[in-house]
Amino acid sequence: MNATTAAMRPSLAGDAGQGRGPGIVVAAVAVVGVALLTVGILWALSIGSEQISWSSVVHSWFSADSPADQIVRTIRLPRVLLAALVGANLAVSGAVMQAITANPIASPDIMGVNSGAAMVVVAAITIVPTMAGAPSILLAFGGAAAAGITVMVLAGMGTGKVSPVRLALAGVTASTLLVSLTQVLVIFHENDTQSVLFWLVGGVNFAQWHDIGTVLPWTAAGLLVALALAKSLNILALGEDMARGLGQHVERTRAFGAAVVIVLCGASVAVAGPIAFIGLIAPHITRKLVGSNYLRVLPVSMLVGAVLTVYADIGSRYVNPPFEVPTGVVTALVGAPIFIYLARRQKVTR
Amino acid sequence: MTVNVAMGRPVRRTAVAARRPWILVGSLLALAVVCTLVSLTIGATRIPFSDVLAALSGQRTTDGAEVVLDFQLPRVLLCWVVGIGLAVSGGVMQGVVRNPLAAPDIIGVTKGAGFAGMLLVLTLPGASVALVPLAAFAGGVVGAGLVYLFAYRRGVSPVRLALVGIAVSATFEAGIRYLLVKYPLDVNASLIWLTGSLFGRSMDTVWMALPWIAVLVPAVLVMAHRLDVLGLGDDLATGLGEPVERTRRNLLLLGVALASVCVAVAGTITFVGLIAPHIARRLVGGRHVVLLSAAAMIGVLLMLLADTVGRGIAAPLEIPAGVVTAVIGGPYFLYLLVKLGK
Repeated sequence: MNATTAAMRPSLAGDAGQGRGPGIVVAAVAVVGVALLTVGILWALSIGSEQISWSSVVHSWFSADSPADQIVRTIRLPRVLLAALVGANLAVSGAVMQAITANPIASPDIMGVNSGAAMVVVAAITIVPTMAGAPSILLAFGGAAAAGITVMVLAGMGTGKVSPVRLALAGVTASTLLVSLTQVLVIFHENDTQSVLFWLVGGVNFAQWHDIGTVLPWTAAGLLVALALAKSLNILALGEDMARGLGQHVERTRAFGAAVVIVLCGASVAVAGPIAFIGLIAPHITRKLVGSNYLRVLPVSMLVGAVLTVYADIGSRYVNPPFEVPTGVVTALVGAPIFIYLARRQKVTR
Repeated sequence: MTVNVAMGRPVRRTAVAARRPWILVGSLLALAVVCTLVSLTIGATRIPFSDVLAALSGQRTTDGAEVVLDFQLPRVLLCWVVGIGLAVSGGVMQGVVRNPLAAPDIIGVTKGAGFAGMLLVLTLPGASVALVPLAAFAGGVVGAGLVYLFAYRRGVSPVRLALVGIAVSATFEAGIRYLLVKYPLDVNASLIWLTGSLFGRSMDTVWMALPWIAVLVPAVLVMAHRLDVLGLGDDLATGLGEPVERTRRNLLLLGVALASVCVAVAGTITFVGLIAPHIARRLVGGRHVVLLSAAAMIGVLLMLLADTVGRGIAAPLEIPAGVVTAVIGGPYFLYLLVKLGK
C-alpha cells in the first residue's frame, strides 16, 4: 500500500519551490480540455437523426426560427450539457473517493454507489408509480449513501490497510446483489419495463432541460465543497498517521468527502442512470496530466470527465446508427481497458 | 496479501468435522436427498408425497405423478447439476486465486457466458435452443481466457486476476446492456435468463449438462491436492516441485468449464459459487478434497432452497432462483466481509 499512496501523494515540495513547470502544464491542459469540450459540444449538437451543419448550430444560439434551431435547442443542447455535467460529477466524486479511501481503484461504480442509487430509484418507481422526477434525486442520494457507506465499512475502510482488490471485490459483489434486485423489480413490472430499463443501463439519450435544472444545484454545491476540501485531501494523501500528526481531523475530512461523493453520484444517477467507469478513469487521466495536488486534480478531472462523457455520447451515435447505444455502454467499453491497464500496474496489484 | 492470510487461518469446526470430515459430507448428502424429496412435493400446487413416490418408481398413474415426472424432476435434477457445478467451480477459483472472495461471477465467466447466450438468442432467433449452452460455454471460456491473458505478466498474480476479471466482466456487462436496449421486445425473457432460473426446463436440459458435470467434477477432485499445495504460496509450491503456472491454468480451465455449463443451462445464478465453498470451509476445514465435496452438497442445498422458495413462495408467480440466491448470498457475503476484515 505504501507504493500506492506514494503514487497519489501530492508533490508539495515541488510546487512550493518552483510552481512554474506544473502551472504551465495545468494551463495547457485546461486550454486543450476546454477546446476539446467546445468542439465536442458543437459536434454533438450537429449529429443525430438529422444532420445539422455547424453554422446552423451556432445560428441556433441566436435565433429559434427554423426547425433545426428547435431541434438543437430543445433536444440536443440539454443532452450534451447533461453529458458534460454528469461526467464532471462522476469524475470529481471518483477523485474524492480515491482520496478518502487512499485507494487508486475506488470509484462510484466499482464501489456500488451507482447501482445502489439506481436500485432505490427503481424500487420507488415500480412500487409507488406516481413518483415524479423531483424526489427521485433524494431517493438516489439515499441509495448511493446506503450502498457506498456499506461497502466502505465492510471493506474495512478506516483501518487504512484495505487492499485495492478487497475493496473492488466487495464493491463488485454488492453491485451484483443490487443489480439483481433491480432486475427482479424490472421483471415484475412488465408494463413499464422500457422506462425502468434506463436505470439498469444509464445514458443521456432522453435528457430534457428540467434534468439540467435538477442536477445543476447539487453539482455546484458538491464541486464547491470538494474544492474546499482539496487541501485536506492533499494532507490525507500523505497517509492517515501523517495527516493526524499534522493536526487534521481525518474523520471529518472523510465524512465531508463521502457527502460530496453521495451528492454528486446520486444527482448524476438520478438524471442519467448508472454511467460506468468515468469516475474511475477521469481522475487517473488527470493525475497523469497534472500530478496529484488535489487543488488541480479536482477542477481538471471535472473537465476530463466532461470531455470523456461528451465524446462517449457522440460515440454512442456512431457505433450502430441509427440505433443509439446507451452512453453507459460506451463509457464501459472505453473504461474497461484503462481499468485493465491500472490492474496490470505493479503499484495497484501489490 | 492480508486477504490470503485469512484463508490459511485455522478454522473453527465442530469436533466431528475435525476428526471425520467425510461423516459430515455424508450427512450433507443425506440432507440434500431429503430436501430433494420435499422439493418435489412443492409446485404451483402441493403434490401428495404418495404421488412423488409413485412417480419415482416409474408410475404415471396420477396427475400428481405426471407433474412430478414432467416438471418437477428435471428441475430438482438441474438443482443438483448446477449446485454441484457452481460450488465446485467457486471452490476451485477461490483456491487458485487464493482469495476467499473469488467466484465465477468475478472471474469473467458468468458475464461472458451470459453475453454469448443472449447474443445468440437475440440476433439469431431461428437458431436451435440446443445451441444456447454451446454459445454460453464459448462465451465463458472466452471471458476467462481474456481475463487470463490480460492478467498475464510473468505469471498470473491472483490479485491481478481478480481485478482484470472485474474489468472484463464489466465489458461483457456493457455488451449485455447493449443487447437489452437494442432488443427491447425480448427484454423480460432476457432478464429472467440473466437473473438465473430453472423455470420450464425439461429432461433434455438435464442430459445436456450432466455429462459435463460427471466428467469435470471428478477431474477437479483428482487434482484437489494440488490446490492445497498452491495454497502454500507460489514460492513454497514451486519449491515442492509444483509447476505453479501450469497447475493454476489447468485448474482454472476446469473451473471455467464447470461454471459455463451451469450458466448455459440455468442462466447467471449468482452467489452460489461464492458462498458454498465458504460454508464448506467453516464446516470441514481447508483440505480441498473434503472442502470441494462438502461445497458441492451445500451448493445443491442452496439451489434446491432457491428454486423451491422461488416457485413456492408466491405461486403461481415464479421468482427466478438467481434472485433468491442473491438475497440469501448477499447478506451472507456481507457478514463474511466483516468477519474476514478482522
